[in-house]
Amino acid sequence: MKEFYRLIGDIVIYLAPIISILYFIGFIKFNRAYKVFTFYLFFISLVQIGAYYVGRGYWCEPNLYYSHYYFIAQFILLSVFYNELLELKWIKYVLGAGLIFIAYQFIDDPSIYYRYNSIGMFFTQMIIVIYSIIYFYKSLTVSRGFIIVNIGIFMYLLSSALIFVSGNIVLSLDFSLETKRILINVNRFLSITFQTLIFIEWWRNYRPKKIV
Amino acid sequence: MDQITDSESQIIDIILVAIGLLLLMSVVIVLFFYFSRKRIAKTQLEKANLVIEHQKALLQSTIITQEEERKRIAQDMHDAISSKLNIVSLNANFLLDETLTIPEANKMGDSILKVTTTVLESSRRIAHALLPPTLDKFGLEAAMEELCEEVGDARQFDIDYRVDFQSENITADEELHFFRIAQELFNNSIKYSEAKHIKLHLTEAENKLVLFYTDDGKGFNISEAKKAKGLGMSGIENRAVLLDATVHIKSEKGEGMEVRIEKTVKS
Repeated sequence: MKEFYRLIGDIVIYLAPIISILYFIGFIKFNRAYKVFTFYLFFISLVQIGAYYVGRGYWCEPNLYYSHYYFIAQFILLSVFYNELLELKWIKYVLGAGLIFIAYQFIDDPSIYYRYNSIGMFFTQMIIVIYSIIYFYKSLTVSRGFIIVNIGIFMYLLSSALIFVSGNIVLSLDFSLETKRILINVNRFLSITFQTLIFIEWWRNYRPKKIV
Repeated sequence: MDQITDSESQIIDIILVAIGLLLLMSVVIVLFFYFSRKRIAKTQLEKANLVIEHQKALLQSTIITQEEERKRIAQDMHDAISSKLNIVSLNANFLLDETLTIPEANKMGDSILKVTTTVLESSRRIAHALLPPTLDKFGLEAAMEELCEEVGDARQFDIDYRVDFQSENITADEELHFFRIAQELFNNSIKYSEAKHIKLHLTEAENKLVLFYTDDGKGFNISEAKKAKGLGMSGIENRAVLLDATVHIKSEKGEGMEVRIEKTVKS
């Protein structure tokens, strides 16, 4: 069973760059939202691989600071992504305010760099979740692109927020490795679902098609 | 192998249950989105079908009207021109007869003259009914006045008309639509209403050109009149659509009718 989870973990790590490359094929051809999303995939896979090699795939090793790069990049790139899709002016202001808040957190308590920034993570993920709900609403009447990716973002960010938020409790209470593994495996399961949806989106709408 | 303590497992249970709930919630929302979208697509399709149906009905009524008009023109031409020209041709043939006496020839010539005069008059009348030259030459104002006078002369109606507007504010096509609408309204009143008094006002006020028409005839049921394809009401509404104008028709059985057509114009 342990081997099985290990395999899933490896798939999650290696699938990310593969999907990024698949998306990169159509980079020039498609719209700006697509380009931003490709950037997001690239950046996230870089962070994931970095964290994996530094920490050798274990949660409690000192690779925790990667989580900051992960969630801040995610917040910026997905905000820009939804800014393209939704065309709402206030997304930029929310992005600015969010970044100022995170900067304030780091100035206020620099040691946060070596912990999980639960509050920052939670708020930024929830903001993206709200964007995805607005996008669902806007897609009700008109068929728009990236709806499968939107489903993935919505489900993954909503569910995984709790895993990241609980990260500090699990670490500070010094839980056993077994317990941490449960959470890691749940996250792996959610990630692989997310990646599958991203892949389906690419396959259905963006894969290179032969011109008949 | 690490051992999981009781408190640990409780906390982890709570976290897992919470994650499960969030996941469930997100699945429910996604499903809700999916089914709402399906339903909305269905309603949109139904709406689009309705529009198509309406357009079909419109097309049908246009064709019926066109056919009726053709039939009427053919009938008019046959009755008023062809049959009379037959008489002329017959008489002219007699004139070629060498045994004909001068008084007889004069009589024939006289008859030919009379018939050709009526034929000329008829053809003028038919052409006039198809497109009044007044409208083309002197504009809507004059054509409307002429129409009202003609209707007033021909039937036992008491017509109250007032035409007062800036004719440069509407195009020639729009003038024709207004004229046809007025014509159709008069036709309806003449054919069905048994009205005694008719009022027609074409006035301009506050950037709006308003055609106001009433009669005190026997009135009709609006929804029934609308169903009668190829007849006046749908024609009036179609022209109003082309004019980009609003139509209000008020009528009850025994109450006469009232029509108000409003078009916004540039001042």
